[in-house]
Amino acid sequence: MSNDNESRKKILVCCGTGCIANNSYDVYLKFKDKLKDTEISVEPLIKATGCNGLCEKGPVVKIMPDEISYFKVSVNDVDEIVEKTIINGETIEKLLYFDTNEKKRIRFHKDATFYKHQHKIALRNIGEIDPLSIEDYTEREGYEALKKVLFQMKPEEVIKEIELSELRGRGGAGFPTGSKWRTCSRYDNFPKYVVCNGDEGDPGAFMDRSVMEGDPNTVIEGMVICGYAIDSHRGFLYIRDEYELARKNMQMAIDNARKNGYLGNNILNSGFDFDLEIVRGGGAFVCGESSALMASIEGNVGEPRAKYIRSVEKGLWNQPTVLNNVETWANIPPIILHGSNWFKTIGIEKNSGTKVFSLVGKVKNTGLVEVPMGTKLSTLVFDIGGGIIKDRPFKAVQTGGPSGGCIPKEHLDISLDFDSLSNIGSMMGSGGVIVMDDTTCMVDLARYYMEFLSEESCGKCTTCREGINTMLKILTNITEGKGELDDLDLLINLGETITDASLCGLGKTAPNPVLTTIQYFKDEYIDHIVNKKCTAGVCKNLTSYYIEKDICIGCGLCKRKCPADAIQGTAKEPHFINMEKCVKCGTCYNLCPTGAIKIGGAK
Amino acid sequence: MKLKIDGNYYEGNSGETLMELAKRNNINIPNLCHKKGFEGQGRCRLCMVEVKEGKKTKIVSSCVFPIKDGIEVSTNSDNILKMRKNIILLLLLRTPNNDYVKALANEYNVVPPKRYLDINLKEDCILCGLCVKACEMIGTNAISLVNRGTTKKVSTPYDDASKDCIGCGACADVCPTDAISLKDENGKRIIWNKTFDLVSCSRCGKHYTTKEAINYVNDKFNLQEETICEDCKRKLIGEKFKESYQNIY
Repeated sequence: MSNDNESRKKILVCCGTGCIANNSYDVYLKFKDKLKDTEISVEPLIKATGCNGLCEKGPVVKIMPDEISYFKVSVNDVDEIVEKTIINGETIEKLLYFDTNEKKRIRFHKDATFYKHQHKIALRNIGEIDPLSIEDYTEREGYEALKKVLFQMKPEEVIKEIELSELRGRGGAGFPTGSKWRTCSRYDNFPKYVVCNGDEGDPGAFMDRSVMEGDPNTVIEGMVICGYAIDSHRGFLYIRDEYELARKNMQMAIDNARKNGYLGNNILNSGFDFDLEIVRGGGAFVCGESSALMASIEGNVGEPRAKYIRSVEKGLWNQPTVLNNVETWANIPPIILHGSNWFKTIGIEKNSGTKVFSLVGKVKNTGLVEVPMGTKLSTLVFDIGGGIIKDRPFKAVQTGGPSGGCIPKEHLDISLDFDSLSNIGSMMGSGGVIVMDDTTCMVDLARYYMEFLSEESCGKCTTCREGINTMLKILTNITEGKGELDDLDLLINLGETITDASLCGLGKTAPNPVLTTIQYFKDEYIDHIVNKKCTAGVCKNLTSYYIEKDICIGCGLCKRKCPADAIQGTAKEPHFINMEKCVKCGTCYNLCPTGAIKIGGAK
Repeated sequence: MKLKIDGNYYEGNSGETLMELAKRNNINIPNLCHKKGFEGQGRCRLCMVEVKEGKKTKIVSSCVFPIKDGIEVSTNSDNILKMRKNIILLLLLRTPNNDYVKALANEYNVVPPKRYLDINLKEDCILCGLCVKACEMIGTNAISLVNRGTTKKVSTPYDDASKDCIGCGACADVCPTDAISLKDENGKRIIWNKTFDLVSCSRCGKHYTTKEAINYVNDKFNLQEETICEDCKRKLIGEKFKESYQNIY
């Protein structure tokens, strides 16, 4: 990059799905339009970049090289930004990020607590480059790893480097990537295939989507490197149906890579051929499971098969296949370029590198977060996440999506790595982290996941299909106040059988949300079953509200806001709730300035 | 290769599944979705057994598990029995009125929790998938497993009468729970929402299959067979044998 380029102003408008949903594309167009008509001598470079991570605060606009980040920018703010910031170099205070930890506004987003603890490898380019510009990618070391591999390394050396890095698959199970490549390379059975799992389906997880949308070339580069290492010449990217922008950006990146000689025949005149194609998923959650994914690529029903013979030996069309998820692929180029020793300095032993989490739920800052493995859960929730919304009490964290478990307060200091999480009955999964406060009912949460999985189970094997359905019925009974104590034994008993006897990973892990909530929140189950009470106020049959006379100041706020006219009382006197009329919406409970409204059990 | 099942040693062939080996040696491993001549499916999960390989013990479905030298298999440990009972319980909750499943539940002393047993359920299909496999093997592919999760079922495309169905009844024949409705009445066969004309046996006059099934077989193997039922075919072959033996002696 020339000096001239460095000093030029750039306006980076995030155009990831989250920001686009908040109208960022119009903001981008307005900037473009607006700056066309001005007489500013430096023409700003406007780029549609991928996700910045702080999705909740979008649209995000960055002004470089001034290092100013504006959040929640609307089309109406564009004039002001151009006038004040671009022309006069002033910052607009109200658009700056408010750091909830530091309790002040911050000029550049990277100085915020949200970013300070992060270490970006997989997301290194997200938000920094235009995903559709291959030049942007190559300016930031893009395809350098591929050149190194093709011209300086033997396939064996590539595999060795990945093995030494101790990189583990980021898709969930944490299987060592190097050893997967090694096993596959040993089979003398051609053709071999390289597959990218982009069927991210866990509720609340969106890290793979962001990589595919914001830095598609890194996925391509990782896959070509693997192709070279295992002697494969064809790859498939399986992208879920709902990810339209990811498919579009990936397809453009593939076309551009081909034009620029990074894909196709005789890549960079090295004599090595490798090409990629996108397969659009059909919308089934189960197709994120590797064998179901491969069945789906082959054009069959997306049902898993028993993997007594692994897919590295017999995968796609029964040929040796390496399948890794998007985030794993994004880690490959930096490892090759900077070496396994560098990679191992990040993270902890046996869990090297970083992990991307999508931090969602009742935290102040939600979004994508990439931290070194071994970071404490509390750092994630309280430092990066900024703590619980309205500073309510922390209750639990669900990691690993529907297959994961609930982690209670006692384990807040747990190290976020594959092994520690599975030791306490949860799992890393693909990295979804859902934070819950005291307004979340753990029984209802377990019921929600069973409902999700009962619809998303492929239905092939009895234990998963019927087992989850039966667990759902039991949990629904409990949340409706019809539970009995022996239901708990039945849930545990069935849960163990589903874990042991199900065919694929989806079924084997499906009971986790139920088993861990029973393990850590048994009191809450007992409250529902015996005391017929839902302390979180979620299960409506088991909730009633009443006003504590001594605390109520008679302000009348609840009375005015009650949608059912159920609250009576005169000003400055204690009010009371007419249970006949109450619809248990919880509005009064959330509004009361003195906390006089209490949750009782079934009435 | 040699392996141990419930304490006894057995000789196995490479590429064989555990279920095949067990069947050859009359070791009873209960199963619903396995049939001789069919590829294992791993659907019903009733054939789960414990396999000890080195120091590791895992639970596998024997109908798809390829045997390995030196493994130790347990087909009736406490854990396996508990699992089996739970699986039968789950099947019973799905098909509470099916005689076959009820008998199985009886055999294993499975007592369903009354609150979760809906005795009005009319379901008989346990989704073992054998019918779909049979249809596939015949080459008609008229039915398949559709939908997913709790709504999964066996059906023809869009539940309409399938143009590919030849009414051969192989699906109903392999069904372990008699879940497929096949009605032969007044010279007609009704199956999968489609009505077929039945063909009479040229010898005994009994209705025995559909015109479409006969044509399908004749076309596929380029035959011009006489329309003759299984019973008469057997009789005829017997007579031919008798004749040829009489000529010898």
